[in-house]
Amino acid sequence: MKIVGASIPRPDALGKVTGAAQYPADLVRPGMLHAAAVWAHHAHARILSIDTSAARALPGVRTVLLAVDVPYNRFGLIEADQPLLCDDMVRFYGDRVALVVAENAAIARAAADLVRVEYEDLPIVSSAQQAIAPGAPRVHEDRSNVLLHQKIRRGDIEAGFAAADVVLEGRFTTSWQEHAYLQPDAGISYWEGDKLVLETAGQWLHEDQRQIAAMFEMPEERIVIRYAKIGGAFGGREDLSLPPLVALAAWKLREPVAMVWNREESIVGHHKRHPFTITMKWGAKRDGSIVAAQIESIADGGAYASTSAEVLKCAAIFAIGPYSIPNVATDAIVAYTNNVPSGAFRGFGAPQAHFAAETMVTRLAHELGLDPTDVRRKNLYKEGDLESTGKPLPAGVSVRQVFERCLEEKAVRFKSDGRVTPGSSLRRGVGLACGIKNVGYSFGFPEQATATVELEVTPAEIRSATVRVGAAEVGQGVHLVLRQIAAETLGLPFEAVRMITDDSSQAPNAGSVSASRMTLMGGRAVAEAANAARGSWVYGDPPRATVQYIPPRTTPLDLETGAGVPNYCYGYSAQAVEVEVDMRTGVTRVARIISVHDVGRAINRQQVEGQIEGCLAQAVGYTLTENLLTRDGKILTPYFSTYLLPTTLDMPTEVYPIILESADPNGPFGARGVAEMPLVPFAAAVAAAIFDATGAWVTDLPMTPERILAAIDESRRRSAASAAALIV
Amino acid sequence: MKLTVNQRSVTVDDAPDTPLLWVLRDTVGLTGTKFGCGIAQCGACTVLVDGEPLRSCSVPVASVAGKHITTIEGIAHGGTLSNVQQAWVDVEVPQCGYCQSGMIMATTALLKKHSHPTDTQIDEALTNICRCGTYDRIRVAVKKAAGAA
Repeated sequence: MKIVGASIPRPDALGKVTGAAQYPADLVRPGMLHAAAVWAHHAHARILSIDTSAARALPGVRTVLLAVDVPYNRFGLIEADQPLLCDDMVRFYGDRVALVVAENAAIARAAADLVRVEYEDLPIVSSAQQAIAPGAPRVHEDRSNVLLHQKIRRGDIEAGFAAADVVLEGRFTTSWQEHAYLQPDAGISYWEGDKLVLETAGQWLHEDQRQIAAMFEMPEERIVIRYAKIGGAFGGREDLSLPPLVALAAWKLREPVAMVWNREESIVGHHKRHPFTITMKWGAKRDGSIVAAQIESIADGGAYASTSAEVLKCAAIFAIGPYSIPNVATDAIVAYTNNVPSGAFRGFGAPQAHFAAETMVTRLAHELGLDPTDVRRKNLYKEGDLESTGKPLPAGVSVRQVFERCLEEKAVRFKSDGRVTPGSSLRRGVGLACGIKNVGYSFGFPEQATATVELEVTPAEIRSATVRVGAAEVGQGVHLVLRQIAAETLGLPFEAVRMITDDSSQAPNAGSVSASRMTLMGGRAVAEAANAARGSWVYGDPPRATVQYIPPRTTPLDLETGAGVPNYCYGYSAQAVEVEVDMRTGVTRVARIISVHDVGRAINRQQVEGQIEGCLAQAVGYTLTENLLTRDGKILTPYFSTYLLPTTLDMPTEVYPIILESADPNGPFGARGVAEMPLVPFAAAVAAAIFDATGAWVTDLPMTPERILAAIDESRRRSAASAAALIV
Repeated sequence: MKLTVNQRSVTVDDAPDTPLLWVLRDTVGLTGTKFGCGIAQCGACTVLVDGEPLRSCSVPVASVAGKHITTIEGIAHGGTLSNVQQAWVDVEVPQCGYCQSGMIMATTALLKKHSHPTDTQIDEALTNICRCGTYDRIRVAVKKAAGAA
C-alpha cells in the first residue's frame, strides 16, 4: 500500500493559510438582506404579546417573522420538540421569539431591540435534581421532566456487594462544556429556481436537509444544503442552531438573506456538553477483582431533547469504564430543565462516565493496598467479554494492549523530575486511566453511509475517479482520508481522485461526522463503491456504482435491564498524565501527556496525530479551565474573557500521541475512529495525577484552582483528624 | 479616510469608530481576517499595523488612518507563500483553519522582532486561541519558518 498509511498533505491547507478559504460568514454579498434574532432572555416564561410595530417602522426593515410564519414549527435531531421561533412558551434563555430581516445587519439588530415582548415569568427549573423532584414545575406542559430513565441490570448487585472485601462510594459532578468552535454560526440562504439553498456549516448535510424540509413542509429534494469551509464543530453543529433561521427568512421573502451570530449569541444559542451528577458504589475482592458496581447518573438535558437520550445511554454503558464487572446496577436519568439544551460534544457521555469510573478504580486499588495498574490488568475487557448489556463486545477488544503500551511509554518518557521541588510549593504527580468509546451510531439508530464512484476509463485502464460522498470536513481531515481510501482501492494516484462532498444534491448521504464514525463508515462505503465501479468496468457496464454500507446491527436497550447490542465498534485508549500542582494556590499545570489509541489503521498518520493532539487541548480545557457558569438558566460566561479556553501556555510541550493498529474487522483497511478518544479518560487521569501529587481527590469538573485547594485543605483536615483519633 | 492596505491605498467612509476588522471585511472586501470573539481575546482577527500585530476587532478604523495595514492576503510575494505560510503548509498546521490567519499574522510579526524566537517568546507572542488545538504544530512551524528566514 502506497497511499493508505502515507501522511499525504491536506489539499485544503493552501486556502487556509492564504485567507482564500471561504467560511459561511465570508459568503455574505452586497445586496443581501440580513437577519437578526430576537432572543427571549427569559429562562421560563409565557409569551403574552409580541409587538413588532416599532421594529417594522424602522427604515430598512423588510419584515419581522414570528412562530406563525413557520409551517411546521418544530425540529430536533432525535425528537422534534424545539420550536424555531417560540409560539407561546419560552423554555430557555437562548430561545428565539422573532426574526427581523432588514437591508443590513446593523438595522436588523437595531430593529430586533425594538420588538416588544410581554412575558409572564414562570418558575425556573435550574437543575436536573430540581427537575425530577416531586412537584417540580414542568418544562414541557404535556410531558414529564424525565426525558429518559435508562436502567442496566446485570447479575445480582446485592450478592456482588456481599462477596466484596472492600466497598467504596463516591460522588462526582461535571459541568457544561462549550464547543467554542472558532467560527461562529453563520449562513446565507437563497432560491435557485424552485429550490431553497442554504450555504452554511454543519455536520450532516442530509439531516439538515430533512429537518429544514419538514419545517417548511417542502419535499426534501427542493432543499439544497451546501457546506462552506467549516470552522470547527466538535458536536456543536450536530443540532441546527442558526441555519434554519436564515433559511426561514429566505424562504419567506424569496430573496437572498445572510445571518451571522456574534460569540455571545453562539454561546447562548447552541447546545452544550451535559452536566452530570454521578453517584457510585463499587465493590472489589482482595485480589483486586471488581465484583459490583452500583451507579446513579443524573444529567441536565436542558430545555429541548437534542441528542440527550443517546448521550445518556452512552454514559450508562460506559459508567463501568472498559472493565468486566459481573454485577452492575445502573440508573441513568436525563431531565428537561430550563437550562441551555445539552447535546453532542466530542466524547458524547463517555468523558463524564469515565471521570467517575476510572477514579473509582484507582481509589479501590488504594483501599486494597494494590497497585492501580494491577487492578486495571485484572479487570480490563478482553476478547469475548460480555458488556453490562449482556452480549459479547464486538471483535477486536484491544484495551489490554493499549494499556500495556501506555505503561511502556510511561516507563521511558516519564523519568521523574522528583515529586517535590526543593524550597517550592510545587508538587508533581502521575495518573493513569483507560477508556472505551463507540465508533458509529448506537442502540439501533439507523446506521449507513452511501457513496458513489464514477470512473473515467479507456479500454485499457482507469484514468481517474470522481467520488461522491456527503461527508462534512470540519477540520478533521476526512476529505483527505476518504480520497486516500479511494485512490488506494482503485490503484490510482492521489491526484487522480476528485471529491464531491459538500452539496446535498450532488453527494449521497453518508451520515454525520460524529461518533468518530466517518473514516470507518464513509471509508467503507467509498472503498466498496470503488470496487463495484471497477467491477462494472471490467464487465463492460458503465463504470459507475453507488454502494450503501450498513455495518453489523445494533439494537435498542431494554429500558428496565439494558439488555441489547449497543454498538458495532469500539475505540480503546489509555493515558498517562503528569501534573504539577502549586500547593499554595491550587494552580495545576499539565506537564506531560502520553495518549495511546488503537485506531485500527491510520489511513493518514499525521491527521490521526493531529486529532489526538487537538482533542487533548479540549480535554485540558474540560478538565481544568472551562467553567461555564449559570444562574437561574442564564449563562454568566458567554464571552472568551470569562469562559477560559486553553491557549498554547496551557498545553505541555511534551505530548506523545501513540498509535496502535489492530485492525477492526469492518473498517476500511482495518480503520476504526479516533476523533473523540483522547477526551474519554483524560479528566480521570488528571484527577489521579493530582491525587498522586497532593493526596487529595478532586471529584468535580472542571478542577479549578479553588476546588483543588479546597480538596487539599479537606484532605489535610481529615489526616489531622485521623492522626488525632489515633493519639486518643 | 485613507488607509493603506497591503500596500494599496484605499478610501473608506465608515464611521470612525468602526472596528478595523469590519472595514477590512465589509468595505475593503478582504475576508481572510476572521471574527472570532469581538473582544480581542482569541486573535482570529490579527493584522499588522505598521508591522505591529493588532487585534482588529477592537481597533477603531480612525486610529489607523494613514498607517500601513497588512492582512493575511498581503504576505505572500506574488504567487509564492511567505516563509510562515509555507511552514504552516509543510508542518500541516491547519485543521479547521479558522484561527490560522491570525496565528500566521502574529507569527509574521514575531519573526520580524525575533528572527529565532525562544519558546518563551513564542508563548508571549502567540496568545491566540485555536480550538482545534494545533498548538504543538504551530510551535514547530514557527521554528521551521525561523530556520527558513
